[in-house]
Amino acid sequence: MTLRAYVIAYLLFLYAPIALLPLFAFNDSTIIAFPLDAFTTRWFAELWTVEALHAALWNSLLIAVVSTVLATLLGLAAARAAAKYRFPGKRGLMGMIMLPLILPEIIVAVSLLVVVIQVLGWPLSRWTIVAAHTLICIPFSIAILNGAFQNLDASLEEAAVDLGENRWSAFRLVTVPLIAPGIVASLLVGFTISLDEFIIAFFLSGAEPTLPVYIWGLLRFPARLPVVMALGTLLVLASILLLVLAEIMRRRGVARAGLKDKGGFL
Amino acid sequence: MSIVSLRNIEKYYGEYHALRDVSVDIAQGEFFSLLGPSGCGKTTLLRTIAGFEDVTSGEVAIAGQEMAGVPANRRPTNMVFQSYAIFPHLSVAKNVAFGLRRRADIPKQSRATLVEDALNMVGLDGYGARRAHALSGGQRQRVALARALILKPKVLLLDEPLSALDKKMREQMQSELRRLQRHVGITFILVTHDQEEALTMSDRIAVMFEGRIAQMGSPEALYRRPETRAVAEFIGMMTFLEGRAASGTVEVEGLGRAEIAAPEGAVAVGVRPETLTLLAPGETAARETAGTVADRAYYGDMTYYDIALPGTDTRLTVSMKNRLSRAVLEPGTEVRLGWEPDALLVYAT
Repeated sequence: MTLRAYVIAYLLFLYAPIALLPLFAFNDSTIIAFPLDAFTTRWFAELWTVEALHAALWNSLLIAVVSTVLATLLGLAAARAAAKYRFPGKRGLMGMIMLPLILPEIIVAVSLLVVVIQVLGWPLSRWTIVAAHTLICIPFSIAILNGAFQNLDASLEEAAVDLGENRWSAFRLVTVPLIAPGIVASLLVGFTISLDEFIIAFFLSGAEPTLPVYIWGLLRFPARLPVVMALGTLLVLASILLLVLAEIMRRRGVARAGLKDKGGFL
Repeated sequence: MSIVSLRNIEKYYGEYHALRDVSVDIAQGEFFSLLGPSGCGKTTLLRTIAGFEDVTSGEVAIAGQEMAGVPANRRPTNMVFQSYAIFPHLSVAKNVAFGLRRRADIPKQSRATLVEDALNMVGLDGYGARRAHALSGGQRQRVALARALILKPKVLLLDEPLSALDKKMREQMQSELRRLQRHVGITFILVTHDQEEALTMSDRIAVMFEGRIAQMGSPEALYRRPETRAVAEFIGMMTFLEGRAASGTVEVEGLGRAEIAAPEGAVAVGVRPETLTLLAPGETAARETAGTVADRAYYGDMTYYDIALPGTDTRLTVSMKNRLSRAVLEPGTEVRLGWEPDALLVYAT
């Protein structure tokens, strides 16, 4: 009985705040409080009309896609090297690459700002954020892809070369299909991290705010809050969709490689 | 003409000297084995031929062509990997057809037939549509063979191909590999640590220790006349007794005197179990020595006896074929041991 109560409390703690999002997104009042007013969809309609929000959303999507692809490519190279070769200082080097994982983001943000402005003298733009997000996504990509490479027999690529393929086509024809679930997972995680990353984006965004930075700016205007709720609702929906998609991909990958399903993130 | 010619191959990994002055000529159509304990350089040598490893110095030539600078995918060799390296995301047929992708000389429309023939040859007809991961170890091995042989390489390289199979399957594949090799007429180079595998399948064997070829020859020559004690110990079962050579005779501890020419001084005398006989009452032999059965191991077809001899702590191993008329002797039984001086192998110590 107490266990059941504990589980219910646990789930409430996890999901109640998120459940409130759609509740107030459809509430016809600018005040975020109970009791609820009439049902409305006007906040969603309003979403379509706010140009600044569209710009911010576009910025965020662009930054997320570019930086997660870059991070996955770089992570792929590093994870492959780590799985395939033995070289002096490998452990230390891999540790260095993984460091941004535990570094406080505020430190990364401040030091990047100093580097970009003072040292390089670049103007702040979407591309500075892309560079920063690539940096923080790489450790995640490597961690995920390391796992994918660990399950891979190193002689598979050699066998492809032995059968006439060059190193690149062997990689493309054999390795890529087999680590595809890892690549998808890496892209997905990187995308999510970049999309909702606030601190670094806040420091480096200049005149091109990302979605989180834009939302933070909106909080100064209480009347706009329901629109933020509507936006949040859509984002939650998109996340669930993305997760389901990723899980379907993962299960397919597992089945294709003939491995036993040991459970994914769902 | 030799199909594979290795000249003074040296290979270093940093400080580690993996291959030391290896020179071999392998004839067209030969079944050649590289035999040695793990770490002796046999796999490195195979990978050198395949093009996966560069040599530090020396020459590799295949079919008369110098291979320096020729990458693995352009060499006329194919390999069966120890893990078989079957592509798990492809069907059996696609695995077998994989190497045909890059072969412009083979018309597209004949490929399906070639795949079918290759599967037929290894006894996997009808398996084409199966997923590779649904196969057993023995079947994977056959797919790996078909995948390599379909390309008609000049040389097929096999890296410990039977080590992952259970005993029954291993024995079956031994004879099958031999049959396949005769059938296709392609030169096979096999790497193995299993001397029985090497002996049963090969035309010729090179025994390797510490990066060097210790002895090369037919299975029979290697078994009967190992040139060094290390080779004698590695191939087959052998008991070593201490001996002392002087003026054309060797005094062997436990056994007695034998007329064998050997350099004077302390020697090690190797005795194969099957060259000895436990004499039945009334039976006689060229030389006889009395001993006692210390222990025995019954194998069904054979019994291996450990015989205690007077004057030595070394137990001499004797193998006897089991017959219905011959009782298996119990430990403690007094026996007469029959032996021949010619069967003794004498090594300087």
